[in-house]
Amino acid sequence: MTKKTDVLHVGIDLGTSRSSISASNGGRHVIESYVGWPVDMVARRLVKKPILFGREALDSRPMLDLRRPLERGLIKEGSERDELAVRELLRHLISLAGGRDGQPIRAVVGVPAEALRVSRQNLRSAVKGVADGLMIVSEPFAVSYGMDALLHTMIVDIGAGTTDFCVMRGRYPTEEDQRTLTNAGDSVDDQLMSLVRAKHPDAQFSIYMVREWKEKWSFVGEAPAPVVVSVQKAARATPIDITSEMRRACESLVAPVTETMADLLARVEPEYQERVRHNIILAGGGSQIPGLATAMERALGEYGGGAVRVVEDPVFAGSNGSLAIALDASEGDWESLAG
Amino acid sequence: MTRRSTASGWRASWSSSPARPMTPADRLKRQVLRGAVRDNVETIRGLPPPSLRASTRLRRGALQATLLVALPTLGLLAYNPLSGSAPDRAAVLATAPSVLTFRAPKAIVPVTASLTVKKIVLDPGHGGNDSGARARGVWENEITLAIARDLRGLLKRAQYDVAMTRDADTFVSLRQRAQIANVERADLFVSIHVNSVPSQECHAVETYYLGPADDPRAEQLAGNENHESGYQLADFRRLLEGVYVNVRQAESRKLAQAVQQELVQVLGDTNPAIRDKGVRSAPFLVLVATESPGILAEVSCLSNDEEANRLAEPAYRQRIARALFHGIHEYAEARNRVATLGQGPGSQ
Repeated sequence: MTKKTDVLHVGIDLGTSRSSISASNGGRHVIESYVGWPVDMVARRLVKKPILFGREALDSRPMLDLRRPLERGLIKEGSERDELAVRELLRHLISLAGGRDGQPIRAVVGVPAEALRVSRQNLRSAVKGVADGLMIVSEPFAVSYGMDALLHTMIVDIGAGTTDFCVMRGRYPTEEDQRTLTNAGDSVDDQLMSLVRAKHPDAQFSIYMVREWKEKWSFVGEAPAPVVVSVQKAARATPIDITSEMRRACESLVAPVTETMADLLARVEPEYQERVRHNIILAGGGSQIPGLATAMERALGEYGGGAVRVVEDPVFAGSNGSLAIALDASEGDWESLAG
Repeated sequence: MTRRSTASGWRASWSSSPARPMTPADRLKRQVLRGAVRDNVETIRGLPPPSLRASTRLRRGALQATLLVALPTLGLLAYNPLSGSAPDRAAVLATAPSVLTFRAPKAIVPVTASLTVKKIVLDPGHGGNDSGARARGVWENEITLAIARDLRGLLKRAQYDVAMTRDADTFVSLRQRAQIANVERADLFVSIHVNSVPSQECHAVETYYLGPADDPRAEQLAGNENHESGYQLADFRRLLEGVYVNVRQAESRKLAQAVQQELVQVLGDTNPAIRDKGVRSAPFLVLVATESPGILAEVSCLSNDEEANRLAEPAYRQRIARALFHGIHEYAEARNRVATLGQGPGSQ
């Protein structure tokens, strides 16, 4: 039997946009979920690495076969390259955690709920071999576990590819307890891109620039300050005001998310609906949009009111929860997961 | 680039914590954790998630046993949705296509009983890896899903029960879509698609019901929409046999007519160039294998730039959803009126 203290336990949040790891040795790391391989020998000589991850991969993207393996929250079915990208991403994250040579590693990996629902076998085979023990759970479940919010709680995890909803009813969530929407960070990016393009047809900008604008200046409701960004117009850097476009794009999340919350709430036993409605936790990168939680509370007014709080540490809430699961799992649990 | 958090180490001191009695909160965590472990163990063993198997077991107990029909050539299970034994929807989706098959759909009995419309299954075309047509940054799989969601809202407000074959951008084979409709015991099945043709001038709106293709283009369109079906060639003939002389076809045609009329009228207000291509028949597989009257509506034409721009607008998609709703509702009202009188529209 392995002594628990000999083992490095890690919790991983394998996200569409960012992936993070929390380790029992105290290590915490986050990277963007990009994996890239040099496209040819020339590229390989230039980047000087056989494989690149995160921001480094993104910055060298013209020279790489760049993958974001959980695009839209799913591992692409039948794509060996994407399966390999998932595996490499996990290996890289685990290497960042800095375990000792030969130290056994037990990992709990949180993935978008839709990925678990649709391609659990693909995921399992993709991540096989990256750790000595491996458990895969849905991301919102990992968040709720880490926050000890296992009863009469709803987790709304707004990621890049999907928004995952999970009602915790004191049991491991089933299909009926969960929902997934594709209205999420990426859909906000797409909408913002369309709106800005419609207003400034002569402006040149990329989806990566749009993503950065959103991450810096997103908001719902009252604008904290005008959002002015720089784009290229006829090869000249030109400032444009995108305040109203930013608001519209971000607010596009409110209605579908609130409706899905209400739909899921309606399936909770009537005596507990009020408690769940007042115990909604917003997680994921989207939870950081200023004003979003307030807008959702306002929208919940139609259903009798509710309380929405935002996780304290959205970057590591998922991986911390996964680490908590890894640490709480018994030796017998890990033995049953071998293979 | 990595970022090292300043957060204090998570449970860094867990190993040195003194033993303490288990609290109710600890027991709850243990119970939930056990569920997570079980879920993983069963995935390793290649079983579907416990929740799905549990619900299937319940249904198995409550309903009569699933009809098993030997199909020696295919060696597969057969399931007859009209036998009263239905696996649940989630189980259909969770089961690999290779273990799902069908029997030829049974004819609907000509309506002397009160066959009213209550449950409607919406089928947003394409999804997941199969994104369908694309133009000007607009994807068919996203358009059809958005329209279906709007339509669902309208139908629910009108007190219909509504189910969807997909409610996210996920791949669902045609076989699974039909299975879902049958498992949900749909009264009507409405498949939503967006046309794309080589000509940029296309402004066509057309609605299909099941039948032999009535022109080569319809045949080609059916061929396009039938790919990724999950069926084999050997299955196709069996599916078609016994379908055509069916009340279902007549009902499907009436539904198609009601929907097409509304689509042309409502969308024509926005776009006078809309061409009414009328109601057509074609052997779309997704219609062949569904038990209920069903249609496949090609609600717009993505290969037309103006239409693609309009489809990117939520307001335009909502107009399409409203047109579909009015068509469905009109058909359902007519059927419900006749059913109340004890005569099915099929007997007209």
